Amino acid sequence: MARSKELVHGVGRLSRSQVFARRALYKGQKKGETPKAAEPAPTKEVTVGGEKNGGKRLVPTSKASRFYPAEDVPQPKKSRKTANPTKLRSSITPGTVLILLAGRFRGKRVVFVKQLESGLLLVTGPFKVNGVPLRRVNQAYVIATSTKVDLGDYKVDEKFTDAYFAKGAKKAARSAEEEFFSEGKPKEKEAFPESKSADQKEIDKAILASIKKTEHLAKYLKASWGLSKGEYPHQLSF
Amino acid sequence: MSTQESNFQRFVEVGRVVLLKAGPHSGHIAVIAEIIDHNRAIVDGPTTGVPRQSFPYRHLTLTPLKVKALPRNAGSGTVKKYVEKEEIVAKWDSSSWAKKRAAVEKRRTLNDFERFQVMIHKKGRRDRVRKLLKSSKA
Amino acid sequence: MGSTRLYSKGRVLGHKRGKRNTRPNTSLLQIEGVSSKQDADFYLGKRVAYVYRAKREIQGSKVRVIWGRVTRPHGNNGVVKSKFRSNLPPHAFGASVRIMLYPSNI
Repeated sequence: MARSKELVHGVGRLSRSQVFARRALYKGQKKGETPKAAEPAPTKEVTVGGEKNGGKRLVPTSKASRFYPAEDVPQPKKSRKTANPTKLRSSITPGTVLILLAGRFRGKRVVFVKQLESGLLLVTGPFKVNGVPLRRVNQAYVIATSTKVDLGDYKVDEKFTDAYFAKGAKKAARSAEEEFFSEGKPKEKEAFPESKSADQKEIDKAILASIKKTEHLAKYLKASWGLSKGEYPHQLSF
Repeated sequence: MSTQESNFQRFVEVGRVVLLKAGPHSGHIAVIAEIIDHNRAIVDGPTTGVPRQSFPYRHLTLTPLKVKALPRNAGSGTVKKYVEKEEIVAKWDSSSWAKKRAAVEKRRTLNDFERFQVMIHKKGRRDRVRKLLKSSKA
Repeated sequence: MGSTRLYSKGRVLGHKRGKRNTRPNTSLLQIEGVSSKQDADFYLGKRVAYVYRAKREIQGSKVRVIWGRVTRPHGNNGVVKSKFRSNLPPHAFGASVRIMLYPSNI
């Protein structure tokens, strides 16, 4: 609205189309021309009966609507803002041992695998060492230690995306009657999908191999972390 | 009043080796080159990176070491000569006080994994001592 | 079994105040082991939980929490200012609070 000085609050001097013309955004670089789908011809010839009607006439292919809004409906401005991708903290690289600070596995030391699209971190216990499965965590809830597990040139499978961890749609609710009678009974547990446990093993295999190379490292990952008396996190180096 | 002489040896005096407790050179040792008054002295540590400066006693700790026969108000060069001759730095580093300080400093800079390893080793030592004690008692 | 504490301990000193007026929307906290502004820097932005017990159960628990955040240092001695979702009641003065380690930046 910089060019369209406000006359009174909320009313600019120039109309929307005048502002558009003056801002001259249409002059900007054109992105590659995309061949447009052939438009249907706007008019077609129709033979008309009656002597005085000339025999033929151009008629629009689709009739214009007879109704149009009497007042301009203001279009909400489209936001061109997009969220920036989450930056990974410089202290976190693949193989870094992280300490989880919140959630079900708080206090556990885990190995960082990679950062996902959403900015969440993909971590694993490894499951065999400390029971932490492949899991997504927010880096705000994590302390990065300077200890690293050497992953070498291990390539993480592309299939580990946020979608991989998304919960499947809930199964259709059972009949109300059945639900009523099952009240109090423990719900039968769903089996852990085989493919996921295979994925877990696959990833952990590489990590476990390199953990074994360092003495005490497996023990370290198995132990959980906590502050004891006289330990102050601002003085500790991780 | 007893006439027995005091056996107190650690005086503020020219040549006394001191440990600095404050300022940018905190933790280093230096030598008293000259006494200014009851509050301050000129300290100098040409071999320990402490520039010649006035320093209040309340930010100093006296060590049992002393540079013998250091002339009063000796310049940095002279202090260096004497300190090197008497190997003051080596003597300080081999003292249990300095070793303890170094150990504390080292522990402070350990990372999480190293702290864990220390814990494991301490546990191991404890275990061995306990077993040995038990077998020697039996 | 080592310790499993994942927070620093702190103490509520009182509300922010002038000589005569108190400003209860900000509370002053003293964090254990923090004695300088530089030390306090580590804790800025961290979540704080004031955990207390009340008579009446809510969702089966008599334990309640007021959450807050460390906002800025207060003076040079390591005391920090903090804001809670609802202002700390005066009976919290002197009570201990948990300074969580998140959001973490290490």
